[in-house]
Amino acid sequence: MKLIIDESRCKGCNLCTLVCPYNIFQEGSELNSKGIVVPSLDRPGRCTNCRLSKLYQRRLCGVCQLICPDQAIHWVEEEPYEPLGVVIEF
Amino acid sequence: MPHIFCTGCGNGTVINCTLNAVVEMGWEIDDTIFISGIGCSSRAPGYVATDSLHTTHGRALAFATGVKMAKPDFNVVVFTGDGDLSAIGGNHFIHACRRNIDITVVCMNNMIYGMTGGQGSPCTPSGAFSTTTPYGASEPVFDLAELAVAAGANYVARWTTYHVKELTKAIKAGMETPGLSFIESVTQCPTSFGRRNKQRQPSDMIDHMKTHTILLSKKKRLEEAGQKVPDDYFAVGEFARRNRPVMGVKNK
Repeated sequence: MKLIIDESRCKGCNLCTLVCPYNIFQEGSELNSKGIVVPSLDRPGRCTNCRLSKLYQRRLCGVCQLICPDQAIHWVEEEPYEPLGVVIEF
Repeated sequence: MPHIFCTGCGNGTVINCTLNAVVEMGWEIDDTIFISGIGCSSRAPGYVATDSLHTTHGRALAFATGVKMAKPDFNVVVFTGDGDLSAIGGNHFIHACRRNIDITVVCMNNMIYGMTGGQGSPCTPSGAFSTTTPYGASEPVFDLAELAVAAGANYVARWTTYHVKELTKAIKAGMETPGLSFIESVTQCPTSFGRRNKQRQPSDMIDHMKTHTILLSKKKRLEEAGQKVPDDYFAVGEFARRNRPVMGVKNK
């Protein structure tokens, strides 16, 4: 599971950066095409709960999605990790 | 979407919580009706894919009573703001509580008339600045949750937009309870309220809610022990849950 911020909906209020207990959201620095500073996600875009929800059947805390006033935050399903899928080029 | 609410407005959060509660209740689209009056908060039903009524100022509860009386099988949810509910629709609110009609009222209390430019409402905290109280509000604050308890609603709770999980649970509990359930959600309004009260950023207002709320049980305990709760703190939690006679439920 991976977090996605929908840039067409986000208005840059930074409430997600305030409430996230895992500090996945950071305040952004660059204006996007609409002139809004969208919060930047931690590089993998996953919090501990997103990562481990499938493995341990954990419930997502989902506070970022609940508090977002513009319904801009959602999750996408990802392919499971395959160790042999990595191609190493020499 | 994107909707008309300003940056950082808490109304979207309350919509999220209400829709989550509706999903948890498993209500069908065809027998759920959202009703609202006039104001920022009352724009909410327009974004929901069910039947909705956008009614005249302060008369959301009067229209909801009519809907519930005509169709007792329908689930009726009313979105309303503090100015809409307590100032213009005050008497409708009192009598809806007294009759105990089976509807769920979600009040987004942003302490000001947000849409018309930021006039002071009955819920403006004393000392707060608005366009009609330029020297600070001097009137006492209207405590909506206590009013609903006194008037006879079956379920009364108050949370803020910072307490999203608790708010969702409270709305769900209100939907499960027969009779009028009143959930007051203290909401931030950075554009009209915070801008004049040194809370320009949405996070400032959320921080204020976080630090100035006290659980109702803790407040009662402190008062029993004789300690004083500061005046600018407001209580959150479940104010009432009871079984008074209900109107508007079909006899089975």
